[in-house]
Amino acid sequence: MTDPGRPVPISAADDQADGAAAAAGLAARAAALDAQALIRGRRQWPLPRQADPSAPLLVVEHLTTRFKMAGGAIKAVDDVSFTLNDGEALGIAGESGCGKTTTALSLVRLLPANGRIGKDSSVKLFGIDLAKKSEDALRRYRWREISIIFQGAMNALNPVRRINEQIAEPVELRLKVNKADAMKRAGELLELVGIPARRGQAYPHELSGGMRQRAMIAMALACDPAVVIGDEPTTALDVMVQAQILELLERLRRELGLSLILITHDLSVIAETCDRVMIMYAGKVAEEGAVSVIFRTPRHPYTQKLIGAFPNIHADRRTLDVIPGSPPDLRDPPPGCRFHPRCPFAMAVCSVEVPPEVTFADGVRVACHLYPGGSDGVPVTRPTKDALVQPAADTGLGAGAFGDRDEAIDELEAAVDPAPSHLLTPGHGLTDDHSLDEIQ
Amino acid sequence: MSAPAVPEQSVRNERLRLQLQSIRSFARRFASRPDGIIGVVVLLIFTILAIAPELFVGPLQTATTATGPSLSPPTAANLLGTDELGRDILNLTIHGTRISMVIGLLATIVTIFLGVLVGIVSGYVGGRVDTVLMRITDFFLVLPTFVLALILAPIILDLVGADSEFFGIRVTLLVIVVVIGVTSWASTARIIRSQALSVKELAFVGRARVIGSGPGHIMWRHILPNVMNLIVANTVLVFGGSILTETTLSFIGLGDPFAPSWGQVLNAAESAGAMGLGAWWYVVPPSVCIVLVVLAFTLVGSALDDILNPRLRIRR
Repeated sequence: MTDPGRPVPISAADDQADGAAAAAGLAARAAALDAQALIRGRRQWPLPRQADPSAPLLVVEHLTTRFKMAGGAIKAVDDVSFTLNDGEALGIAGESGCGKTTTALSLVRLLPANGRIGKDSSVKLFGIDLAKKSEDALRRYRWREISIIFQGAMNALNPVRRINEQIAEPVELRLKVNKADAMKRAGELLELVGIPARRGQAYPHELSGGMRQRAMIAMALACDPAVVIGDEPTTALDVMVQAQILELLERLRRELGLSLILITHDLSVIAETCDRVMIMYAGKVAEEGAVSVIFRTPRHPYTQKLIGAFPNIHADRRTLDVIPGSPPDLRDPPPGCRFHPRCPFAMAVCSVEVPPEVTFADGVRVACHLYPGGSDGVPVTRPTKDALVQPAADTGLGAGAFGDRDEAIDELEAAVDPAPSHLLTPGHGLTDDHSLDEIQ
Repeated sequence: MSAPAVPEQSVRNERLRLQLQSIRSFARRFASRPDGIIGVVVLLIFTILAIAPELFVGPLQTATTATGPSLSPPTAANLLGTDELGRDILNLTIHGTRISMVIGLLATIVTIFLGVLVGIVSGYVGGRVDTVLMRITDFFLVLPTFVLALILAPIILDLVGADSEFFGIRVTLLVIVVVIGVTSWASTARIIRSQALSVKELAFVGRARVIGSGPGHIMWRHILPNVMNLIVANTVLVFGGSILTETTLSFIGLGDPFAPSWGQVLNAAESAGAMGLGAWWYVVPPSVCIVLVVLAFTLVGSALDDILNPRLRIRR
């Protein structure tokens, strides 16, 4: 396999390619293990007692979160699985209300009173299943192992208490450090995020928006957590400050080996800071894989549309693509693939069967009928016209129901094959000075 | 993780600088309120009188040490005249300042403590606790304070015995303090609860919960500082009200005859028939003092309310 960013055509999926893929997979696993040993060796506080030191950092499997509402239960997160390795940054993207934040908050069960996690869900941190923990037992992991950078720092900071007191609070409470030492650590943390320690004596309203967000990041780092969740950390900041905050996150990742889950709807933020990206739609994973692969060759129609809806400063000025319609009402999600009512390539099967998640040799996982199931690990590329027509014929639906299919296929081919992802092109917006290699 | 070392000296200096800055800005805003300044000056004068009345008028005159004639109008010897026992009214009034102010202060402490405690717990914890606490508050709110005090004072006095002492303070005075406190905390609790209700919905309280703070910690470190402005403004107003209630209770004879407050002086004047005899000098000085102090507290309270309440500040 020469270029991991390019899906291997089916015809070329011979033994040789399989062997190469396996070798690449092994190499990646070895690199991950190295990072794991390095980063865990640097921890100031020991791993939790029940931790399996050789287990991957975070493995989420079949995560389902329901909200009980007056009109019935809402499945805000439905059977979501992903992993996060030490030192890795995973971006979660999607439209509003597609379950990004709920997924992240479900990890430590920070849900509203009516939120429940499904029985089959497992959230394994260092091999410890947090989903099975009691509320009391879970408290040890909140903030200490999984902390959150909240959106809108002004509201997440107490307006009448000094910044350094607030940063010292988790250190004091969670790590049982005395007040003086906690305050000292607060000063160190502030310096770490680029605020002079003496400014910690200020109240939140005396700091600028960017400084407040930095203080929030310092607070998230206070207990040296294993995973930091950034819940839209750059939303509501102006572009210059956004760039500074992203630069800070990148530096912290480099220096501290921070493992990050970044929730955002700004794809350029993910392009700049993340190793992998998970695109969610209506509570399910649409596509997940390396940023470099997915932004170059998005496979899921939703991913393609999402990237197409993003401005490209290199292209001619044009009207942005929009995805018609809006995400479905989760009380009554459409049957089959949840994206099919808005999907330009929708086939008959899409409204009947839930597409299985298929993983390709380049590590990308897609849930879409364009890429048939049962072919786990076997690389599949663009759909043939037959693949589109066939199921329709099978189910007895006339071709007229999909009148613009040929056109749609052309469009899809254009999207899959030659289109270089403008998001990854150096010089684009926030990705200035960050070449693709750096992201990889 | 390694982090750069921090010079502690500069951190402390910054704290001092910011504190000075905030005090200065508060002083500047307060200075722009002439009514507040007048109130503060009046209160300062009465505070000095309360701390050291002997400096101005000598020791407290009693029936045995009284020197003047009976019920004499103001003269050069007795600037504000005398009472029926020959005591100097100026002497009585100035000595009365101490008792009135001390009782007012203690009663305010009891009132604010009860009100803030009930208000914050009720507002933050919510649910059934809130319901129970608020029904109790309603009970005290709808009962007329004065009538309740009238019933409570003699009962408590009878229970503990009128002559006993606590920490050198005569129990009669403490009973007045308790009665005022018990009957006036309800409105404070309501005010604090309403603010606590809105503060607890703010994001930083959720964040504190995520960090792992218990409810006690959140109430003490997050809710309390955020309702402090209300507490300060309310304290000043309650102080004035407490002095008024003390006067009333003393006037109708529930005070301590051996510790003359302004209410006691008025009570003595009433029983001596001062009004009927036209002895205005017996009644006017303590009344004027009461009006001045209560007015001063109200002026300071409303000035503080305007300055400390951010919502009112934006409007002007």
